[in-house]
Amino acid sequence: MRIKRRKFLILGSLLGLSSYVKAERTTDFEKEFKAVKSTITAVQEHMFPKGSKIPSARSMHVTTFLYETITHKSFDRDIKAFVVEGAEELMRREKGKFTSMNRIEKEKALRDYEMTNYGSTWLSRMMTLTMEGMFSDPIYGANIKESGWKALGAYGGFPRPKTKYMES
Amino acid sequence: MYDVVIIGSGASGGAVAYTLCKAGYKVAVLEKGRLVKKEEFSKDELAYCRRDLVTPSLFDEYHTIEEKVDGKWVSTPTYESGWSFWNGNIVGGSSNLMSGMLHRLHPDDFRLKSKYGEIKGANVVDWPISYEELEPYYALAEELVGISGHYESHAYEPKRSTPNFTQPPTKENRVVKLIDKACHSLGVTPLVTPRAVLSQTKPGRDACYYSNFCGSYGCSSGAKGSSREALLKPALATGNLTLLTNTHVKYLHTKSKDEVSYAVVVDTITGKEKQIEGKIFVVAAQAHESARLLLNSANKHHPEGLGNSSGELGKNLIFSGGGSGQGELHKESLKEIKFDELMTTGLFINRTVLDWYFIDHWWDGKFKGGSVEFMFEHQNIISRARKNNYENGKLVWGEALGERVVKRMTEQKNIRFEIFNDWLPNDNCFVSLDPTHKDKYGMPVGKLRVEGHPQDVKVGKYIAKKCEKILEEMGAKNIYSGVSSSPPQNLVAGGCRFGDDPKTSVLNKYCQSHDVKNLFVADASFMPTGGSVAYTWTIYANAFRVADHILERLKQV
Ligand SMILES: Cc1cc2nc3c(=O)[nH]c(=O)nc-3n(C[C@H](O)[C@H](O)[C@H](O)COP(=O)(O)OP(=O)(O)OC[C@H]3O[C@@H](n4cnc5c(N)ncnc54)[C@H](O)[C@@H]3O)c2cc1C
Ligand code: SF4
Repeated sequence: MRIKRRKFLILGSLLGLSSYVKAERTTDFEKEFKAVKSTITAVQEHMFPKGSKIPSARSMHVTTFLYETITHKSFDRDIKAFVVEGAEELMRREKGKFTSMNRIEKEKALRDYEMTNYGSTWLSRMMTLTMEGMFSDPIYGANIKESGWKALGAYGGFPRPKTKYMES
Repeated sequence: MYDVVIIGSGASGGAVAYTLCKAGYKVAVLEKGRLVKKEEFSKDELAYCRRDLVTPSLFDEYHTIEEKVDGKWVSTPTYESGWSFWNGNIVGGSSNLMSGMLHRLHPDDFRLKSKYGEIKGANVVDWPISYEELEPYYALAEELVGISGHYESHAYEPKRSTPNFTQPPTKENRVVKLIDKACHSLGVTPLVTPRAVLSQTKPGRDACYYSNFCGSYGCSSGAKGSSREALLKPALATGNLTLLTNTHVKYLHTKSKDEVSYAVVVDTITGKEKQIEGKIFVVAAQAHESARLLLNSANKHHPEGLGNSSGELGKNLIFSGGGSGQGELHKESLKEIKFDELMTTGLFINRTVLDWYFIDHWWDGKFKGGSVEFMFEHQNIISRARKNNYENGKLVWGEALGERVVKRMTEQKNIRFEIFNDWLPNDNCFVSLDPTHKDKYGMPVGKLRVEGHPQDVKVGKYIAKKCEKILEEMGAKNIYSGVSSSPPQNLVAGGCRFGDDPKTSVLNKYCQSHDVKNLFVADASFMPTGGSVAYTWTIYANAFRVADHILERLKQV
């Protein structure tokens, strides 16, 4: 049985907010995203730190990529709302302190969050969205100078895209 | 008024359009998707494999899928599950994106019931035509679509009217040396997979340049035998084809009981509706959508759906699948070939095993088996990097993630097998109209109940065990296989069975509606059983056969 994504996102929410209802409302998404942006960046940087064999999140503009990709009309509107809502939940759990924590504290906060179904789904989504940026065509702006591909020794095929799909 | 109106521009629609346009008839192809030109196709993993760029948004158009949960049928819209049953909705349909591993059915696939008798819980019937009747069209499709390969005689390889393929096989990765050796030492015969990919240039089409991203991607050289490249382009060149893109067909209208008079279409950009008239209508929207379209065309003359006096419309939907498995070839333990050779990108593994197509064994018994394809794991970068990043149920991140992903991507390559065995038609696999859900054009969506028959899983497991042995013999590590009755959504057939008896079938042997004389269904809907190979060579061949019959009719008008 395939998981009922929408139901899961709604019931799983500890905030009692409904991703779906939220997505249906016309919200100022840019504003909402701005409020969680630093938390999302901090999570990405924790998952993809400096000194790893793959490039660091900090060096790859992965938050900008994430914003651009989730705001395009082709992106699932439930997941778009979930991205923000999951970050808000993390902020709430950690009483707004997540971004100022040190590495050990962040690790604990994220592993604790991962213990909940909701948190583990959200973290998994963060991982996917970050890797999508890092390992997609450099045209999307987050695989800078192909350094994501170089690290993996794997390169996209030819022809490369001339435009971002968001622009076509 | 057009001579012929075709709904859907994919493999089947393209074959019909090609034949009729070449013969000088005026044809309209109505395609709900847009035209993506050869030059526009890129290897953009994000766009083609991770976003709905060549398929509709599931919030606009979707299916509901019924599965049994705790003894009850539960229906889930695909916008909730993310399990899309769209396969490529652009000019050329899903044939743009196929991997192109093509096989002919075996002559006994046309008479499964006579050969194996009844199977409890399965609605198996013989076909009203034989392999011999379809063979000339397999040969025609081979030539026109451009199928490369190498014929070797084998007990379960059907006979051909031409001695061999005109195009030699595409270039192969050295890993085939390992596969061949492993097979031979286990007494298994590896055969070369016929592929709808040109190994040599053909007028108007360049040969394959081994781009490494073939399946799930459009081809920018013209080598892949998509309907767009191989059939619609030459059809357009005749001047007889009107290709109407962004034209979604809502339903077909019949003014009288036995004739379709026009198609009601909506322009997907402007939202404007119009009627398109023709003398003959050919539905080629891919099996599950063709049945839905005919069900949605119910009217006072045809209250249960167009051409559904038998009550069989939408029933006996089938899929082509059976399971798959994988093993890892590691740098440190690789023998016979060099690691660099294994890691060479782009080249194909053209290897098929047909040894278990029919099983007649003193211990295992006598039953219909299946075929096997070997291939590398899809070379998409994001999906390869993203998978298997859990340890003890926890997501791996940080430096450990870097170590893990880089090692996996640079020190091993994964080899897969895919099994294709008959999906036995049964009462719990069918398309109907969802009573509540509608698409953005206001039409009921297709509701798919997709239960497989237990025999399919048994056969899949039987073959998977044998394939695991081949991978083991090759020196692969961490071998596993997965066999389930979950349907592969890109290989679908049935729903409008053909047959001689109008009481038990929707179409006659020419895939013409028993009830409505100017209505044909040209895609895989006609197949009462699916054989143990992927469908597309049969789809192309049968559509050419149907087109020949339509030509005969047009000549008489
Ligand atoms: C990734 C992938 C890999 C594959 N690999 C293989 C392979 O290796 N071997 C193999 O045998 N097969 C393979 N296939 C399957 C193969 O592509 C299909 O079997 C074949 O294309 C089906 O032909 P068709 O004409 O039935 O449908 P399609 O080719 O899908 O064409 C149907 C067309 O009808 C249009 N349409 C539907 N409804 C409407 C409507 N209401 N109004 C207007 N237009 C409509 C659709 O937009 C579509 O363009 C693969 C498919 C995919 C997606
Ligand atoms: S060039 Fe070859 S490998 Fe690439 S998409 Fe075309 S047929 Fe496939």
